[in-house]
Amino acid sequence: MNRNSLLFASVFVIGFSACSTSEPEPAQPYDNGVLVINAGNFLDNNGSISLLQRNSTTGSYDIFQKENSRSLAGGLSGYAEVNDKGVILVDNSTAGKDLIEIVNARTFKSVATIPSTDIENPRAVVKASDTKAYVTCWDATGDYSNFYKNPGYVAVIDATTNKLSKKIPVQNGAETIIVVGNEAFVGNTGSGKTQVSVIDITTDAVKQQVEVGRNPHIIGLDANNKLWLYAGSELVKFNPQTKTAETRLKITSSNAAKSPSSFILSADKKTIYYTYSFYDPADDYKQKGETYSFSIDATVIAADKPFINRLFSGGLGVDPQTGIIYAGLVPSFKQAGYVIRYQSNGTLVDSVKAEIAPSQFFFKN
Amino acid sequence: MHSYAQKEQSLCEVTVRGVRPERFMVGQKVQDIDSTQLTRFRYSTLADFLQFQSPVAFKSYGPGQATSIAFRGTSANHTAVLWNGININAPSLGQSDFSTIPLAGFDQMSIQYGAAASCVGTDAVGGSIQLRSVPEFRNTGLQLLTAIRAETSENYSAQIGFRFNRSLSDYWKFSGKTMLYGSVFNNHFSAEPRRNRQGDTYSFEPTQTTQKGIVQDLYWQHYKGNLLTLNIWLTDNNLTIQPQQPPLQEVTRTQAYRVLGSYQLGKTLIRTGFIRDLIDYSKGENAVPSHTQIDRFILRTEHDFSWIRDCEKGTNLKVGAEVVHYNALVDGYGNEVIRENRADFYALLRHQFSAKFSTSLNLRQALVTRFSPPFTPSAGVEYTAMTFKNAKIILNGNASLSYRVPTLNERYWVNLGNPDLRPEKGFNKEVGISWKQRLTSNNQMQLTINGFHNLIDDWTYWNPDRNYRVENLQQVLSKGIEISWNLKAQWAKTQFDALLNYGLTHSSQQKTYGPYTQDFIGKQLIYVPRHALGSTISATRGKASLTIQQQFNSKRYVTFDHSGRPFAPYYLLNAILNYQIHKRNFRTDIAIQGSNLTNTVYPNLKKNAMPLRTVSLNVVLYFQSKKQSNES
Repeated sequence: MNRNSLLFASVFVIGFSACSTSEPEPAQPYDNGVLVINAGNFLDNNGSISLLQRNSTTGSYDIFQKENSRSLAGGLSGYAEVNDKGVILVDNSTAGKDLIEIVNARTFKSVATIPSTDIENPRAVVKASDTKAYVTCWDATGDYSNFYKNPGYVAVIDATTNKLSKKIPVQNGAETIIVVGNEAFVGNTGSGKTQVSVIDITTDAVKQQVEVGRNPHIIGLDANNKLWLYAGSELVKFNPQTKTAETRLKITSSNAAKSPSSFILSADKKTIYYTYSFYDPADDYKQKGETYSFSIDATVIAADKPFINRLFSGGLGVDPQTGIIYAGLVPSFKQAGYVIRYQSNGTLVDSVKAEIAPSQFFFKN
Repeated sequence: MHSYAQKEQSLCEVTVRGVRPERFMVGQKVQDIDSTQLTRFRYSTLADFLQFQSPVAFKSYGPGQATSIAFRGTSANHTAVLWNGININAPSLGQSDFSTIPLAGFDQMSIQYGAAASCVGTDAVGGSIQLRSVPEFRNTGLQLLTAIRAETSENYSAQIGFRFNRSLSDYWKFSGKTMLYGSVFNNHFSAEPRRNRQGDTYSFEPTQTTQKGIVQDLYWQHYKGNLLTLNIWLTDNNLTIQPQQPPLQEVTRTQAYRVLGSYQLGKTLIRTGFIRDLIDYSKGENAVPSHTQIDRFILRTEHDFSWIRDCEKGTNLKVGAEVVHYNALVDGYGNEVIRENRADFYALLRHQFSAKFSTSLNLRQALVTRFSPPFTPSAGVEYTAMTFKNAKIILNGNASLSYRVPTLNERYWVNLGNPDLRPEKGFNKEVGISWKQRLTSNNQMQLTINGFHNLIDDWTYWNPDRNYRVENLQQVLSKGIEISWNLKAQWAKTQFDALLNYGLTHSSQQKTYGPYTQDFIGKQLIYVPRHALGSTISATRGKASLTIQQQFNSKRYVTFDHSGRPFAPYYLLNAILNYQIHKRNFRTDIAIQGSNLTNTVYPNLKKNAMPLRTVSLNVVLYFQSKKQSNES
């Protein structure tokens, strides 16, 4: 924008706001639709965000690059919004180069960058309140013999100042996080830790650690306000008020080699979808599996009848508006992946090209 | 075309003792690198140097970091790197890290384009790089060399060495070279990210690389020509990512011990060698590195037969056998030492009908424990179609089969490796035309155009669909045209040397190998530029010389389906201004070298910025005990 057009724009804005303050704000390009968080390929540091419209089969690609004329410098591990700000977790393959990019969620223009010195291995982000986001981090990792060598932390991002305000130490391998009322529950991956950390949002401090089971992965809050976790190879229905596990169910299957992932709650929060797969040694270690579902009221979780007879390695999402299931398909990490959409009854809707490794979905209005 | 060699040797000259294997690559493009350039860029790594000499592409993870080659659109393990005839690619990866090979380690270099399995063995699918140590029996006495370099990016290098040559008796001459070299590359460029003209922004990765090595070459030559040789080359390369932050550090140490003993007895060569490749990788403080140690014990014997009718007509035949025993102790292969034996049998035949017409037929069969490489023949022809007073036009053609023994990682990595892999098989065809024009007795011009077509089947792929198990899935066709122009001319007391290279490469998948692979067909392979231009131009006048290196690479795709943003085209410009000062037995070369003078911002594979503009001061001090050194 040159100086004249800038002048013109400011005059226009002043005139506009002076004359008609009651008009609604002008629509912005990223007000609506579904953001696809493409993780990228690890050493290529080429994570990106695409925008899909609910009623269209073409996407807008790498919208951060498009709006800011620079790319996100790493893989992507998460996205969340705090009011009108988007928080993007950038995980570079080189230790000490991770970042958090903060954008205007409606225009995707960069607002601020939280530097590498503040953040290492960000894994998940959640809106903690109207003024802050919580970001789980592994901190620096070790080699394969002791990968999660450091305790994790939850970085508190002040959405007003766009700065890191605090690091709350939690268990090693901190990953999934959910906010329930005034508490945030933090799970972990890989490190073998068995307790969920409970953070008091008002004080930004861990107030309690609750034994749940090995590597607790938080799935979400169901229609009955029960927290679901996958921990110790069991699905755990957990009461976030009393901090006790109410039921523990194992997935029953004829194939003991299979393991579940990508758990997600349906729009009505009464069904949980998940993928269930294994590498078949009898077929050159081909990955095989399907997508299953179970009811939150189930007393037995039997993976016998697939909900969708297909496996998605890229992650699942559910549109709270429509109940449509978004499934990320990753053919390889050196090509664009696809988002395959299904109705909540499992009927295929369509398929949309995304970018490298579509892994998470963020549903806008 | 045989080479850019300034002097063409007659059959009689080359057949005195063992014939170099390149002589049998009739119809193939072999480019001898000018020794002046090797001396001038003595501080460079092979990666930094080669990209200006030929249209090969390099894939770099950053300055001082792993850098592999893509020769004529092939992958990193399709180039054989030979040191004194022995393949020195790391057996675990089947490739060489060109950032760990400094020019200081050898005396001569040739680049051989296209498949040459019959002459060279495994890996020579896209081409081969030949590094040689050569005795210097002409200069007697002692030559000493001390060299230092300081670059504005806080990169420092030093070399010290000597060459000697003396008569031990009336029958034996003794010559040798000792060279110690060391470098520290701090790569300090900019704390802030930099943006290129296309609007891509790249930041700098904090790294430090230290490199050191020893070269020890000893030669004993009998007056009848028999030659006993000992070549030792020890290299040690240590890369640290995040050197300032110990908890975040990643350290990769790559070491090689290479020892060769050769005896050329008349027309029989007996060569024995030991190579140990070590890689240690660790992350964080006080970590126990993961360790790779692979030893090779090599025994090769060759005999040259010749039937020479006159210096223009005759037949050369080289028959040889090589046996190599491998011991691999690699964390990823489990706790056992993997042992295997490989044998190669080859017969290389060259027949020269006349000074104008030569042909070759080369055969090789390799044998590998638990693996069956294919039989690989090649045939070539070279014909001088037209001769003028000072010019000639030469046509050439060659067809070769090639193979690649899969790497040890591909065969033995626990679960992901696949012992049932088939060998990759290549079929390379090429034709060329050269116009050689003599300008004066010492000056000439040569223009060469080559076209190639190389189909490689059963190309291996770490298949994400099978948890990255390696499989023979792909078929790649690499085809292209290379144009090179070489000039040596004198004008107004100034000597000009110019080398211009252009490569047009189209390398693409030919077959689908799974769902979602259909739109890769015909698309250029990742990181292979379609157009590559390189040039080195020198002007020398009296004691001063100026060398300019340029390089252009067109855009490079980073995804198989060409989705996303490709790496933008880029241009690099280097210049080195050298001045010699002679005083008695001393000579000093002082040079100012500018690298990336246009300050081009371009990325490496990790999307970090490659080096920006730097200026360095290079000083080399020579001492010659008797007469003037021939080195320049």
